[in-house]
Amino acid sequence: MRGGIVRELAVRRYLNQFRRIFQDPVLAIGLILVTLFLVLAVVWPVLAMVGESMSEAGRPLFARYLTEPTYQTIIRNTVVMGLLVAAVGTALGFLFAYVQVKVQAPFKRLMHFVALVPIISPPFAVATATLTLFGRNGLITKGIFGVRYDIYGLQGLTLVLSLSYFTVAYMNLKGMMQALDPALEEAATNLGANKWRIFRTVTVPMLIPGILGSFLLLFVESIADLGNPLVLGGNFEVLATRIYISVIGLYDTTGAAVLSVILLVPSLIIFVIQRYWIGRMSVVSVTGKPSGTPQMITHPWVRWPLFAVTMGVTLLIILIYATLFVGAFVEVPGVNNSFTLSHFDFVINGYGSEAMTDTTLLSAISTPIAGLLGILIAFLVVRKEFPGRAGLDFAGMLGIAVPGTIIGIGYLLVFNNPLDLTLPFGGENPLTITLIPKLTGGRAVLGGALAIVMVFVIRSIPAALRSGVASLSQIDPAIEEASISLGADNARTFRKITLPLIRPAFLSGLIYAFARSMTSLSAIIFLTTPQTKIMTQQILNETENGRYGNAFAYCVILILIVLVAISVLYLTVGSATGAERTLEGGG
Amino acid sequence: MTVQRTRQGDLELIDVVKSFPQREGSGVVAAVDHVSLAIPSGEFVTLLGPSGCGKTTTLRLIAGFEMPTAGRILLDGKDITHQAPNKRDMAMVFQSYALFPHMTVADNIAYGLQTAGMPRAEIKAKVAAALDLMSLGGLGERRPNELSGGQQQRVALARSLVMEPSVLLFDEPLSNLDAKLRVQMRSEIRGLQRRLGITSVYVTHDQIEAMSMSDRIVVMNAGRIDQIGKPHEIYHRPRTRFVADFIGRANFVETTVEAAAGDRATVTVLGKTVQVPVEQPLSAGTRVTAVLRPEALRLVEDTARCPMTIEQGMYLGAETEYILAGDGQRLVVIESGLSAQRLFAEGQTVCVDFEDEAVHLLPVG
Amino acid sequence: MRRRLPLLVIVALLLSVLPAQAQGGDTLTVLCTPQEDWCVAMTQAFQEQTGIATSYVRMSSGESLARLRATADNPEFSVWWGGPADGFIAAAAEGLVEPYESPNAAVIDPHYKDAENFTWTGVYVGALGFCSNREILDELGVEPPTSWQDLLNPALQGNIGVAHPATSGTAFTAFWTNVTLAADSLERAAMEEQGMDADAIAEALAAGEYVGAGYDETGAPNQEAVDMAFEYFAQLHQNILQYTRSGSAPGQMAGTGEIAVAIIFSHDCVKLQQEGFEGILVTTFPEEGTGYEIGGMGIITNGPEPEAARVWYDWALTADAQAIGPTVNSLQLPTNPDAPVSELSVNLADVNLIRYNFQAAGESRTAIVERFDAEIAPQPVD
Repeated sequence: MRGGIVRELAVRRYLNQFRRIFQDPVLAIGLILVTLFLVLAVVWPVLAMVGESMSEAGRPLFARYLTEPTYQTIIRNTVVMGLLVAAVGTALGFLFAYVQVKVQAPFKRLMHFVALVPIISPPFAVATATLTLFGRNGLITKGIFGVRYDIYGLQGLTLVLSLSYFTVAYMNLKGMMQALDPALEEAATNLGANKWRIFRTVTVPMLIPGILGSFLLLFVESIADLGNPLVLGGNFEVLATRIYISVIGLYDTTGAAVLSVILLVPSLIIFVIQRYWIGRMSVVSVTGKPSGTPQMITHPWVRWPLFAVTMGVTLLIILIYATLFVGAFVEVPGVNNSFTLSHFDFVINGYGSEAMTDTTLLSAISTPIAGLLGILIAFLVVRKEFPGRAGLDFAGMLGIAVPGTIIGIGYLLVFNNPLDLTLPFGGENPLTITLIPKLTGGRAVLGGALAIVMVFVIRSIPAALRSGVASLSQIDPAIEEASISLGADNARTFRKITLPLIRPAFLSGLIYAFARSMTSLSAIIFLTTPQTKIMTQQILNETENGRYGNAFAYCVILILIVLVAISVLYLTVGSATGAERTLEGGG
Repeated sequence: MTVQRTRQGDLELIDVVKSFPQREGSGVVAAVDHVSLAIPSGEFVTLLGPSGCGKTTTLRLIAGFEMPTAGRILLDGKDITHQAPNKRDMAMVFQSYALFPHMTVADNIAYGLQTAGMPRAEIKAKVAAALDLMSLGGLGERRPNELSGGQQQRVALARSLVMEPSVLLFDEPLSNLDAKLRVQMRSEIRGLQRRLGITSVYVTHDQIEAMSMSDRIVVMNAGRIDQIGKPHEIYHRPRTRFVADFIGRANFVETTVEAAAGDRATVTVLGKTVQVPVEQPLSAGTRVTAVLRPEALRLVEDTARCPMTIEQGMYLGAETEYILAGDGQRLVVIESGLSAQRLFAEGQTVCVDFEDEAVHLLPVG
Repeated sequence: MRRRLPLLVIVALLLSVLPAQAQGGDTLTVLCTPQEDWCVAMTQAFQEQTGIATSYVRMSSGESLARLRATADNPEFSVWWGGPADGFIAAAAEGLVEPYESPNAAVIDPHYKDAENFTWTGVYVGALGFCSNREILDELGVEPPTSWQDLLNPALQGNIGVAHPATSGTAFTAFWTNVTLAADSLERAAMEEQGMDADAIAEALAAGEYVGAGYDETGAPNQEAVDMAFEYFAQLHQNILQYTRSGSAPGQMAGTGEIAVAIIFSHDCVKLQQEGFEGILVTTFPEEGTGYEIGGMGIITNGPEPEAARVWYDWALTADAQAIGPTVNSLQLPTNPDAPVSELSVNLADVNLIRYNFQAAGESRTAIVERFDAEIAPQPVD
């Protein structure tokens, strides 16, 4: 009886929520479009991939892959690498954040900048430069120390992946540390605790959600990475490279789908834990204004060792990027170091120019779409009530939770043939409507560019979505209600009030979207076509074939394009200060 | 600024229910529980109650920011229950002012008019008039964060008034101001409302604000309306113990009706037998609670009837407050005027006296 | 207005790109398997001479085959140029390349083309070799390898590079070479048992007159030979650093000193020597015998530009087109007898070439590659 009433009330509530949404056609259309796009561009491909793995041919492969020692080794390798990178990367992020926020040290601005550089650099740029420096014939290992150091395999991957991904942990933890109320530490000091005790009993416990969250994010990112294991893996094989070979070497999409599911399951589980469980246990209120000034650590025995380690890593990163830059201007980096512009000639005037313009153009198209969609989803999720709200949020985040190679395979499965609807009537010549044209492979519409833009967009939405959510939850909903109360509909409110107010978040979302599109590899590697060439794919080709000079020149140009784009975005979309704050805080 | 009122502004809530799903478990909580309320055009009505009583939800239901689970809302006889909030002829003033931080004061005020598509020149004139009306002349080009709290409040008010709505809604608009400004804004808002004659629904938890501004007060408790009445009725004839306790301060003394005749009942309160007017006839032997306002009591030195000890005395200048204890009862007494100046010592035994009319009876329970 | 500007720019850019991609007419999309710069030189020269707008994608042989298979319904390429003929034979067996009897193919040695069905024609020839970094070998105390057995030296652990046969024709050639050598050794043992002397055996093997111990009646190496080659690669696996995607990539790694020995085509090693690794890299050949490739060419079945594909096909067989390779240090031997031969090219007469059964290689390719990918490549190294 009681249950019946509750159910009736629930039904009525849903009806009300729908009625509320459809009162405003613009909002309704926005919701429908966003949902359709996410279903088409990410949910369906992923489900298709899972479906393929569950097919007649796929099912027995699960047993085989999970029991054969060879594959067990690959799975173990993947997990071990993920854990190591997550641990080292989080530790690095913590160290950089701690020095930045809590320690009185010189060169802090430099360290901050260096910690952010990996965002705008292409994947495995670090790997290639690291090989030049620390490879078996490396400039440093061999040239200076005379050691033929073996960087291939787990140790090299851990180093390179940690340096490539620790930025996530750094930004996360720095934001949290800055939000930590200094009054807490003051209170602890008052109670007679010394600095070490405070660190142990107050600072670290308060940051545990951030530390765990970073750890898990890094784990997911590193096991999804493809470029670095291809270049540096040696005999250390991981799932991502295995999937890659299955597709490009054998075109075994079923086998690849099964391996993908094996990779997808832990990724998704960890993502859900990170997102919904750790997010909830967070004890730091980020919106709260810290009172008082944080006490800086000045004790020389603490300060200088921390500084030395951080500065050491900073210098290492600078060295790596310097190698990249210098390497772009020499004949054969590390072997024949005479100056040349031939690599740039190759990229700008030669074969590479097409990839350069294609990638930039497609990224530029994807960026505003991803930024707007991300912010729109954030707006719907934070401000509106409707059935399936959590689902929309989750689908919006799938682009980052699902490893890129898996999205690529999903696209091949779904979009390699046009989706035609043959109408049941029409007799002899039934009318066929193409609902979705062929988006990937040969003769795809727009040379496959549409599929690549879709991938860029769904890979970039999560950043805009998260910074939008963070920013929106700090804006008093009454401001939007005031606009509505004054007669504006949702669309006008969004345009005139919401969007201008979250402009910094929007800007950081755009920057992230552009950088992410320009540097994305794993998701588009199966989607490039003769008509559409992507820089990261070319960089991989050049790196794999050992033409490091060309690879470096590509990297330098790619970084320059991203920097120029960031400047353009700053000038057109937002004020430097606000955006920087959000970028640093949210990311 | 002359406002020509063509609309009515008769607002009616009929058996409105708003329930939310419970945070844990599968049940629902009724934030607004069968509320019916009719507000005639031009009236200033305050929804008063502690936090969580449903007053803000009621206001948001009227504004259209929430949709009722059941019941209807009518404006001038037209059902607006499911009308979109931006289509309702109402304007809301928010607790946080909710000014648009990226717009100037003038742009803030012009916003609603622009949305309505009013010609530019007309908007300009109206904004200027509104700035004048609210004594904001010269601040039009400032940004909200360059204004004081009081000024921001005026902008928020001007922004709503300029729309000339049928109904003005206020959500605790003064709670962020300091005490002095609050008093000033109180009378300004009330003055404007009287002058413009706009139906107003005002939400507050501050009883003084409610008393001083309202034509009628709606006291809400746990999603229901406990009492609707003029301020004087609410204070002097509270219908429930909750109302009595929430509006002003009250002493409660349990007693039994000794005799009843028509609209009067005889009870003995603190040793004094009094004849008290009652709204509904009470039969002899009924347990009742007598409500005695502290300022209706005065201390007497004759301790024979009701000896009590002064636990605490607080001299506040214009008045003196005493807390008495004795016979399982605690009383608050406030002496004012000249009486406030005759100070009793703590620990002294005293008694209290009062007029028959000072006693108000409530049924027990 | 100010905020709309970027959007307008993007739309304008998009519109400017679309017509270029949408327009039909004289275009050609080449699937190109040799090294990148040769692909560039060839397509540019072709475009200049014919006016056909030519684009290409470089993919390794196995990768190309997989891609053609995957897109058979809707091919994106019209002609496939380069890469070992085994790949073309495998493609022809699946109908992925279609017959074309080019008038210019007449001058090509019948051994270098599909003389029966015209599904492919050879455009170059090259021999497999070992490309070693002298310095690194010195450090490891190892001589440049001159036999396949030399590669199993434990001192070379993690210092040998070869591509993955699934993606690379080079690597498959290396594998098939070992299948052939194993078949030969089986034959040799059987012939010795029959009392034949060494000269007679060598003569019989060179003529392909088998007794049936290592080869079946069609002249294809038998399963035992294949199994022996797998055994060899399982041992070699212990010394491999990583299996690259592209066949020539290990050569660069040897050049930069990341590995000591690369198993690549000898012309790729010579190319590297010409391009900065002179004096660093040294080319050697296995004395037991080495495999070679005939770089093939085929017209993709149902390709989007069949006319242009034939124009390319005819053109690529001319002496002029085959003279382009040496200009970019691609020193494979031309198949057109009138094309000039660079003095840097390896003289095949100096090398002990095996009797490479391209037909059998192409037919066994898929099964071998899948088995290799499952059994050898993912194995951990002790």
